Amino acid sequence: MSTKQQNAGKTALNFLRNNTVPLMFILICAVCIPISGFSPSYLLNEIITRLGRNAFLILSLLIPIMAGMGLNFGMTLGAMAGEMALIFVSDWQIWGIPGVVLAMIISVPFSVILGLICGKILNMAKGREMITSYIISFFINGIYQLIVLYLMGSIIPIAHGSIKLPRGYGIRNTVSLLNMRQCIDNLLAIRIGGVKIPALTLLIIALMCLLIVWFRRTKLGQDMRAVGQDMQVARDAGINVERTRIISIVISTVLAGFGMILYLQNIGNLSTYSAHSQVGMFCIAALLVGGASVDRASIGNVFLGVTLFHLMFIVAPQAGAKITGDSMIGEYFRVFVSYGVITLALIMYEMKKRRQKASIGEQLALAQKEEEQHE
Amino acid sequence: MNNKRKWIFRGCTLLAILLIAVLMFIVGRGHTVYIDNKTLEYNGESYGALQKSEVWVGGERLSKLGKRDRTMTTVIGNSFEMKLINTVNKGDEPTETTVKISLPYGWDGILVNIPGYLANLPQEAWMTEFIIEPTTEEAAGEEEATEDEIPMGDF
Amino acid sequence: MKEKMASFVASFGLPRLIITGFLLALFILAPIVGVDLPMQITNVINRFSWNAILVLAMVPMVHSGCGLNFGLPLGIISGLLGATLSLEFGFTGPLSFIMAVVISTPFALVLGMGYGALLNRIKGGEMMIATYVGFSSVSFMCMMWLLLPYHKADMVWGLAGKGLRTTISLEGYYDKVLANFLQINIGKVSIPVGALLLFALLAFAMWAFLHTKTGTAMTAVGSNATFAKAAGIKVDKIRMLSVVMSTWLAAIGILVYEQGFGFIQLYMAPFYMALPAVSAILIGGASVNKATIMNVILGTFLFQGIVTMTPTVMNSVIHTDMSEVIRVIASNGMILYALTRRSEVTR
Repeated sequence: MSTKQQNAGKTALNFLRNNTVPLMFILICAVCIPISGFSPSYLLNEIITRLGRNAFLILSLLIPIMAGMGLNFGMTLGAMAGEMALIFVSDWQIWGIPGVVLAMIISVPFSVILGLICGKILNMAKGREMITSYIISFFINGIYQLIVLYLMGSIIPIAHGSIKLPRGYGIRNTVSLLNMRQCIDNLLAIRIGGVKIPALTLLIIALMCLLIVWFRRTKLGQDMRAVGQDMQVARDAGINVERTRIISIVISTVLAGFGMILYLQNIGNLSTYSAHSQVGMFCIAALLVGGASVDRASIGNVFLGVTLFHLMFIVAPQAGAKITGDSMIGEYFRVFVSYGVITLALIMYEMKKRRQKASIGEQLALAQKEEEQHE
Repeated sequence: MNNKRKWIFRGCTLLAILLIAVLMFIVGRGHTVYIDNKTLEYNGESYGALQKSEVWVGGERLSKLGKRDRTMTTVIGNSFEMKLINTVNKGDEPTETTVKISLPYGWDGILVNIPGYLANLPQEAWMTEFIIEPTTEEAAGEEEATEDEIPMGDF
Repeated sequence: MKEKMASFVASFGLPRLIITGFLLALFILAPIVGVDLPMQITNVINRFSWNAILVLAMVPMVHSGCGLNFGLPLGIISGLLGATLSLEFGFTGPLSFIMAVVISTPFALVLGMGYGALLNRIKGGEMMIATYVGFSSVSFMCMMWLLLPYHKADMVWGLAGKGLRTTISLEGYYDKVLANFLQINIGKVSIPVGALLLFALLAFAMWAFLHTKTGTAMTAVGSNATFAKAAGIKVDKIRMLSVVMSTWLAAIGILVYEQGFGFIQLYMAPFYMALPAVSAILIGGASVNKATIMNVILGTFLFQGIVTMTPTVMNSVIHTDMSEVIRVIASNGMILYALTRRSEVTR
């Protein structure tokens, strides 16, 4: 009887351990939502909007995790590719859904090039993928600024002065995307009560989820999972490990480009120099909040994460204002929680890795002991 | 043999995507159409503005133009259709006309003059390119973004 | 001869060579394009004096195998706490600097020990986690700077009377206190001897420490932890010591930076401060598991040289300020270069 209790206790402990982050977030939201005073229909509308906006981007993070590359901070590169495509498309005055489609098509070559660079560099830094991809995002940000701030308008022809800086070259800090704003969201929008459901956007996201599920079953998908589990074993099985890793990054970058375009068409405005870095950070945080870890992430994590993370994000400033009388506290609080969540998830992942290593060592020692006893 | 098939398949997909891109390029071209109810001078003749002209676009009334009024609308694609309910002089019966124009690809802003159109003048008389002067009251100091972002803000 | 050149390039590192060459070119170009060279040299030396200690803080952790200290913001926060508290308690002038150092030390010790304990539990993933520990603590302190009961009029927002300002001027406190101490002027170049002396002192202390028994134990832990353990060295304790040292040096470093810069910068300012220090030491020749004092000196000089010279020279030549972008590309490229080299097994 006591072993059953022990086992139940162990499973409960394991459940808590594996799901610390989402549970913590549920707690925070449960506390902050009533304090903030937002109505349920307002919150529902906001969450559905943000789901439509961010889910595609977060889905792009799943593939590198599958291939063992950890959290792909290099998704920022895809975001930059999408932004460059949008700058061109809006300069060419292509509006509405055709504009979005054209931007997606144009972003692909940019994403592929950036993804190849990122993948190659990551292959040179095996074992340190996450910090390397983190620095890569800064590095490519510099190159992006070089292109967008100096080359566009001077060497790269930009027709419209309205998106250029007063000095004649370089793109302005914000580029208006008013003419394609919410074009995909509005096309098949369903309005129930005070809630607007962007059906087409959600359909696209659902298609993407199906695509990912199908991908996992293809040979390439299986190869990636093998590489993710153990690179040496995969190599022995004949899989071209380097090439598979690069492909996973390229796919992720291309998807991030599409996701960024969907995101920006919802907002309707492009912050040329800051949009991508914010997006990268918060998408990773959201995925982790959904219960994903550095080596394991599912589609369920994506949706749970978006909901919880953005709930907290909406509710925290108001709750902070009501508690301390200063709204800045709430804003800083949500930044702190976003970073804190990533820190916690990273720590727990590392500790789990060490525990696994230790337990394997123990089992080996136990097996050796038994062998000795049998002799 | 299998390799060749793979490459043909890839080539066709690429071609299809390029065709879609070109299609989007054409279909998605956006224009701003400005509609004037102003007196037009052309070839020495003067075509007077209407007393009143109601402009209907896409089944909804866009604007009611008196003399010397202007309205505008955004259009995606290369053709523009509007319905005009015109009252030429005060006290006249209003007459309906449907206007269908194809918009030149290269122009961002297109100015359409109603009196000129109704007088069946050649196209260059009543359709001109509308260029907006870039305003100089831009926000000063819009220089490069530093890497010290404050990672807050709505998104 | 050619092989000698090739091996020199390989050991010095191609990116390093490019950066040094670039800096030399800037120095040569400067008088030609009309830039005031003595003033620029003064600027470079000044900036060197501000930043060198922060870069020095990298050395202990690299030696003990904890990698590059991306968690520098923790030490910086200790320094900021020391600075603000020193001002709050009413110290002024040079005394405020000394008190800031004194007050930061316990904070640095406590934070360093916590940070060190954490790093000991996650051997192998130090750098990534350090980055995020740094970020989380900076954002946490953002809330604290608003909430903690500071009252000094110079430091809090005027209207509300509570919550610290984003930047606090150090005039009347310890602005330039080290720089002006023993300042030497050679022609038009002024050298902040006081600040450089402090750096030299700490650098020498570090060098001496690394040659003591504990210091060599630290290097042993960094090169081969299992071997060190077998030799009876308490690996976790040594690592903890290196983290505490690094955190304390970072606290001193930010105080020296503030005295040169003239302001205390709170809130989001420390957020990305680890990156320039990391890339400076890498430019100086260090790698993820090897760093010497020479790397610190050379690296800080090269990095600050580029940061100072590029805007002025570039502006005069092509009338555009591309310096920010160049700095981002150069410093992050340097870090990438270091991260992608195979970990050297030191002898």
